[in-house]
Amino acid sequence: MTNILSIPGVKVSQKDYHQIIIRGNGLEKFNNTIEEKTSIKPPSKNLEIKYDLNYLFAKNSFDQWSLILMDKKEHHQILNLVSSINTNENMLASDYSYGQVYFEIEGENKDYFINQLTHFDLREEKFPKLTMAQTIIARIDCSIYNLGNKFIITCNKSYEDYFQKRLKDTALLSNTS
Amino acid sequence: MSAINNNCEYISKKQIEITFDGKTYKAYEGDTIASALLRNNIRLVGRSFKYHRPRGIYTCGIEEPNALVQIISEHNEPNTRATIKRVYDGIEITSQNRWPSLTYDFGAINNILSPIFSAGFYYKTFMGPKGFWKNLYEPLIRRSAGLGKPPKNFRSKSTHQYHNNDVVIIGAGLSGLAAAKKFINTKYKVLLIEQDSYLGGVLKNSNKVKTINDLTPRKWISETEKLILNSKNITILKNTLVTTYNFTNHLIALEDKFAGKKIELNKSELTLHKIRTSNTIIANGHIERFISFRNNDLPGVMLASSFEKYIHRYGVVPEKEPVIFTNNSSSLSLLKKLISLGCKPNAYVDSRKKDNIETEIKKILKDNEISFFSDAEIEGCDGNKKVETITIRQGKSFKKLQSSMLCVSGGYNPDIHLFTQSKGLVKWDKNILSFKPDTPFQKTITLGSTSGNYNFKKLCDEINEKLSIFKTKKVSLDINLNVPNKFSITELWETKKKNNSNWSKSFVDLHNDVTTKDLKQAITEGFDRIEHLKRYTTNSMGTDQGKISSINSLAIVSKMLKKEISEVGTTTYRPPYAPLSFAAIAGRSTYEFYDPERKTSIHSWHLKNNAVFENVGQWKRPWYFKASENETMHQAVQRESKMLRENAGILDGSTLGKIEIKGRDALEFMNLMYTNAFSKMKPMTSRYAMMLGEDGMIKDDGIICKISDQHFIATTTSSGAPKVLADMEEYLQTEWPHLQVFLNSITEQFSTFNISGPKTREIMMKVFPDIDFSNDAFPFMTFKNFDYKKTKIRIMRASFTGELGYEIYVPPKFGLELWQEIFSCGKEYNLIPYGTETMHLLRAEKGYIVIGQETDGTVTPIDLNYNWMIGKNKKDFIGKRSLTRPDTSREDRKQLVGLLPINKKDIIEEGQHIVELNELPKKITNPIKYLGHVSSGYHSPNLNHSIGLAMIKGGKNLFGQKFFVTATGKTKNIPVEIVNPVFIDPENKRLTS
Repeated sequence: MTNILSIPGVKVSQKDYHQIIIRGNGLEKFNNTIEEKTSIKPPSKNLEIKYDLNYLFAKNSFDQWSLILMDKKEHHQILNLVSSINTNENMLASDYSYGQVYFEIEGENKDYFINQLTHFDLREEKFPKLTMAQTIIARIDCSIYNLGNKFIITCNKSYEDYFQKRLKDTALLSNTS
Repeated sequence: MSAINNNCEYISKKQIEITFDGKTYKAYEGDTIASALLRNNIRLVGRSFKYHRPRGIYTCGIEEPNALVQIISEHNEPNTRATIKRVYDGIEITSQNRWPSLTYDFGAINNILSPIFSAGFYYKTFMGPKGFWKNLYEPLIRRSAGLGKPPKNFRSKSTHQYHNNDVVIIGAGLSGLAAAKKFINTKYKVLLIEQDSYLGGVLKNSNKVKTINDLTPRKWISETEKLILNSKNITILKNTLVTTYNFTNHLIALEDKFAGKKIELNKSELTLHKIRTSNTIIANGHIERFISFRNNDLPGVMLASSFEKYIHRYGVVPEKEPVIFTNNSSSLSLLKKLISLGCKPNAYVDSRKKDNIETEIKKILKDNEISFFSDAEIEGCDGNKKVETITIRQGKSFKKLQSSMLCVSGGYNPDIHLFTQSKGLVKWDKNILSFKPDTPFQKTITLGSTSGNYNFKKLCDEINEKLSIFKTKKVSLDINLNVPNKFSITELWETKKKNNSNWSKSFVDLHNDVTTKDLKQAITEGFDRIEHLKRYTTNSMGTDQGKISSINSLAIVSKMLKKEISEVGTTTYRPPYAPLSFAAIAGRSTYEFYDPERKTSIHSWHLKNNAVFENVGQWKRPWYFKASENETMHQAVQRESKMLRENAGILDGSTLGKIEIKGRDALEFMNLMYTNAFSKMKPMTSRYAMMLGEDGMIKDDGIICKISDQHFIATTTSSGAPKVLADMEEYLQTEWPHLQVFLNSITEQFSTFNISGPKTREIMMKVFPDIDFSNDAFPFMTFKNFDYKKTKIRIMRASFTGELGYEIYVPPKFGLELWQEIFSCGKEYNLIPYGTETMHLLRAEKGYIVIGQETDGTVTPIDLNYNWMIGKNKKDFIGKRSLTRPDTSREDRKQLVGLLPINKKDIIEEGQHIVELNELPKKITNPIKYLGHVSSGYHSPNLNHSIGLAMIKGGKNLFGQKFFVTATGKTKNIPVEIVNPVFIDPENKRLTS
C-alpha cells in the first residue's frame, strides 16, 4: 500500500491487488464453474458487488465480471486460476493483475473530492453501497466500486502517473484542503 | 460633489490601498472597485465601446454596462465589472479602451464622427473604395475592436466541481432564503447559490423591509443562515454566479474563490460548478431599468436602487444631494434613507401625475423642503465628462438644476435571463410593465420578484404554494415594510429632447453604444423584426445581453411600430449570463493536464536514456534516443537504423493493442472479422492480418496468434485498439449474436518488446538460456509460452523491420526488469534501443505499410498488392462484397509503389505530389495532372540514398517508369523511378534466417 494523499476528510492510498476479468453468459454452468474454481458465487445482479476482506467480485455488465483478489497471492497462482477457468470453452478469463492500478478513497469528504474529477452521481440512491460503475474520472475510463465507507477506483496502469498527479493536484487545489 | 461614508456592517473598518490608473486611493476591505472609487469621488472610470464617450458607474451589480476595467495584478484580466470585483490591498486597476489617458482619449473623435458610425455602419461605411477594406479598414477595426487588452503570460488555475442535486436555489435573497428554509432537514439534497459574499439580497441592499417575524432583516438573515448551515442536506455557495441554464436542468455556476483577496498562484482561483439537478428554483430577483434621455450616459447618472445599494451594502453615499428621477414608487426607500443620513436630495422628479404619487413621498418632500416635480421628466443632462447641470421638463417649461448626480429608476424587470435560457416562455405584465416568467420548459420554479411578484406580503403564500410539490413544512413570513406594499408605475421609456444634436445622444444600450436614434433608423431601413433589429444595431448583444436595456428597447420599438410590446416579442437571452473566462471553462485541462498521458512500464528507463518522445494517441512513445546532447533526430535515426541492421535493436512496443478472443465460435468470428483465412492455421502459429470496413477499405492490421480454434490473441495498431475492440463487440452484439465469443482487452496486461537484427538470436539465447531459438524449434511466425521468474511470458517470432526478430510479452510488473536484463545480455552484441521513427524507416526499407500512413480510409488490400491476405474461399468477411464493386477493382486506383530518386542525392519528402512535369510553371494557370502522393519518405542509411513509398494511380503497371516528385519551396521537381516497394531483402532471407 502506498499513501497518495491525506487532506481533511479525504485519504487516498494505492493498493496492490490481483484482478481477473471474466466473460460468460452467467447461466448455471458458468456459475458452477466460477464457484468450483474460486469458491465464490458470482453476483447475478448487474453492477452488484460481493465483497469481503479477501475478494471483491462485481458484475460489470450482462456478460462481464471482475474478480479483485485482495489477499496476497503469487502471480503464478492467479495465472493458474485463469487457466483453470479457461478450460470452460464458453468462458473467457483474462489476467488483469498488473495492467490495472487500484486507489482507495475514504473519508467524509470523499464524494465531494471525487466530484472534482467526475460528473458521476455518487448519491446513495443513485450509486448504492456494494455496487460498481464504469465511468470517466479525470477524463479517463475507470471503474469505481462503492464499499460504503470507501471507494475503490481502478484504471489502466498506463495512466497511473497521470491519475496520481490528478489526485494530488485536486487535493492541492481542493476546497477541503 | 462629494461622497460620504455610512456605517455598514458588511464593510470592514480596515483600510487598504488600491491603484487606479497609476494613482493610489484608500479603500476598505469588502469594497468593490466601484464602491472604492465612489468613496474617493472618482466618477469617470471608462470609455464607451464605440464612441469612446466618458462613462461612469451606472449600477451596483452584474448588470453594469459601463464600468469595465482591467486588473493588472491578476494576469491583466480585462473587461472586469468594477461593480462586482472586490478589492484587496495592493490591487492594481486601470481603465481601458482609451489612449493616451482616460481623461484625454484620442478615440473620443469617434463621438464627433458619430454620424458615420450609426446603426449598421459595419455594412455601409466600409464598402469602398476598392482595396481599402484589406489595407485600411480591417487593420484599423481589428486594432480598435474590443475593450480591454487580452492577458499575456496567462497561467490561472481553476477547478471544476460537479454536483448532483434534488433542488438548486439560485439566489439567497429573501425569496431564496425562505425557500431554502423549507428544505431544512428534509430528504432533498439542496444547493443554495448566492452571487454575493453575504446572503440577504434586497434585505441587505435596501431598507425596504423593516422586520421579518419580528426580527430585523440582519438578524433574520443570520438566524436563517445558521439553520441552513446546521442542516446536513443544504450546501451554500457564496460568491458564485449561475451563468448558464442548459437542457435537462443542467446549470453552470462560477465561484470566485479569491473574492476580495489577492490570488495565490498555487491555488485555484475560480471553480466552475457543473450542476445536474432535478428541480431548479430561480430567485435571483430583478434588475432595475433606466429611462432614455439626452446624455443619459454621463458619469454621475446612476440607477436609483444601485445608489441605495451603495449606501446599505458598501457604506458609501455617492452624493449627498442627488436629483432623483423616477416613474414608480420604489424610490421612496432611497428618499427616506437619504433624509435619515442628513442628506437632502436636490430635486425629486416623478413622471407620475401628482395624484398617483404616494402620500408618504409627498409628505417627506414637503417636510424637508425638497424641490418636487410631478408629471415631469428629465429632458437631459450636460457637463464635461460628468453631470453638471440637469434639465427638467414640466409641461412646457424647463428648469435647469446644478447637480453632479442623477438617480434614475424606470421600473424593474424580473431577472428572466436564466428562465429563458432554460427555454421557459415569458409573458407581458401590464401591472409591472415588464415580461415575467409564464410557462417553464423544464422543472423550473420562479419566486419573488423573478416571477414578477413585487408584493412582499404575498411572497409567503407564493413560496408555500409553488413549493407544495415538495414534501416540506410550510414557511411563515410576517413582513413589516418601510415602503408601500403596492408597486405603482407609469409608462416612460424615453423623454423628449429639447433640441436635436448629433453629439447629444439618448442611449438605450450603454454597453454597445446604441442610441434610440439607431433604433429609429433601423426601423426606417426595414429592420422592423426585433431579432433583425437586434443584430443590425447590436442592441442587447454581447456579454451584457441587454440586462438593463432589452426591455427598454422593446418598448421604444413597439411605440415606433405602433404595436403592443407583447406583439413585438422578446429576443433570446443567451448564455452565459455574465462572461466566463476561458481558464474557468478549461479547468485543469491545461498545460500538464491538457491531455491524459499513458506511459509504458519502461518509461523511466527511456527517460534515463535520453529518449525523445512522440505522442501516439495518448501514449508517450520513444521517438528516438539521443546518443549525445548535440545529436540531431536525423543523425539518431540513421545511427539506430544502421546499428540494428548490423547488430540488434529493441523497441518498446507495449502500446500495441491486444485483444483476447475466446469461445466456441471464435474461429468463425475471426474469419468474419479479418480478410485472412484462419481455418487451416495451425495452433501456436501467428499471422499478419487485415481488418476492413464494410466499404472494403483497410481499417486496421495486426498479428493474430492462434492458441486453438476457440482461443485467439489479436494485436492491433496502438491508436486503433479501442476502436477495433468496440467494433468487434458491436458486431458480436448486433450482427452475430448467435456466435458464442467473448473478448477482453489485454493491451495493458503485457509489456511488449520487439527485438530484431542479425544478432538477436544470440541475445535471446543469453537472456533465456533454457529456450531453443533455432530455426527448426522456433520458426518464423510461431509463438510459445514460458515460465519467467514468478510469472509467464509469451515469445513470438515476428518482425516489423525485415530482420530476424522476436516479440516478447511480459506482465508489466516484470517488464522493466526483463528489459534491463536484455540490455545487460545484449551489451556485447551492441544492442541499441530504437524509437518509432527508426521503426518507420526500417519497415519502409522492407516495404511494410503503416495504417494511417499508406492507408487513409480509401485504400483496399488490393491497392497495396496484398491480395495474398484475402481468404478468397471464405464464405464471408467484413468488406468482402465491397472488394468486388467496380470502383474497388478499377485498374487505375491509387496503388502502392516504391520510389527511387534518379539522382541519389535528391531527397523524397513525405506528402509531396507525383506529377509528369519536371518543372512546375511559376504561375499555375491550369490544374497540374496529379498522379498520386508520397506516403513515406526516408533517407536509408543502409542503401545510402533516399527511398519512398507512394500511392499512384495505376501504380502496379508503372514499374520502371520515370515521373517527378514535387519539392518544398521549389518549382524544379525531383525525377524518380517507380519500383517495387521492397528495397531490402525481397527474398526474406534475413527474416527467416
